[in-house]
Amino acid sequence: MRLGTVIGRVTLSKTVPALIGARWLIVSPFTREHFQQGSDEPRGLSKDPSLVVYDDLGGGVGQTVGFIEGREAAVPFDQPTPVDAINGALVDQIFYNPYSK
Amino acid sequence: MLLARVEGNLTATRKHPSFEGWRLIICQPISEAGDPEGVPQVAIDPHGAAMHQRVIISSDGIAARKAVGDPKSPARWVIIGIVDEKEAA
Repeated sequence: MRLGTVIGRVTLSKTVPALIGARWLIVSPFTREHFQQGSDEPRGLSKDPSLVVYDDLGGGVGQTVGFIEGREAAVPFDQPTPVDAINGALVDQIFYNPYSK
Repeated sequence: MLLARVEGNLTATRKHPSFEGWRLIICQPISEAGDPEGVPQVAIDPHGAAMHQRVIISSDGIAARKAVGDPKSPARWVIIGIVDEKEAA
């Protein structure tokens, strides 16, 4: 699971049948620098490319989410589904303490 | 599998039901020399790893689903071991 900030939403008018009614979020993933800013600082956009994440938890713009990428993202579905990123957690709090030698 | 260092944890009330009760640990992948490499990953922790401990994380979804006991879980990264010592190359 990677963390990211929700920066937008997507709606689809025409989709494969398995994804009708699905909710989609545009997520800008955290890099190591985002973690080091601390949770109070405003988090800017990431240098890493943003991605569209399937959402069944109800994430909103500005929230931090944990999303799962890869084959595992399609596992919760009953039928074969072309999903490769899914929202796994709406993050309440992050405790981060970077290691320094 | 990646060598990583534990650098934090997170709490989430709304999450996939299979993550209920699991520690979610922020793991920073590290190089052979111990320097951070790449993006931190959040892994589930069946072993109880402590802050700044070195761990091995695996992206094997089948093992993760077995660990959480839910065949429909999207779990992917799981801490599979805590490093005692690592021999330098």
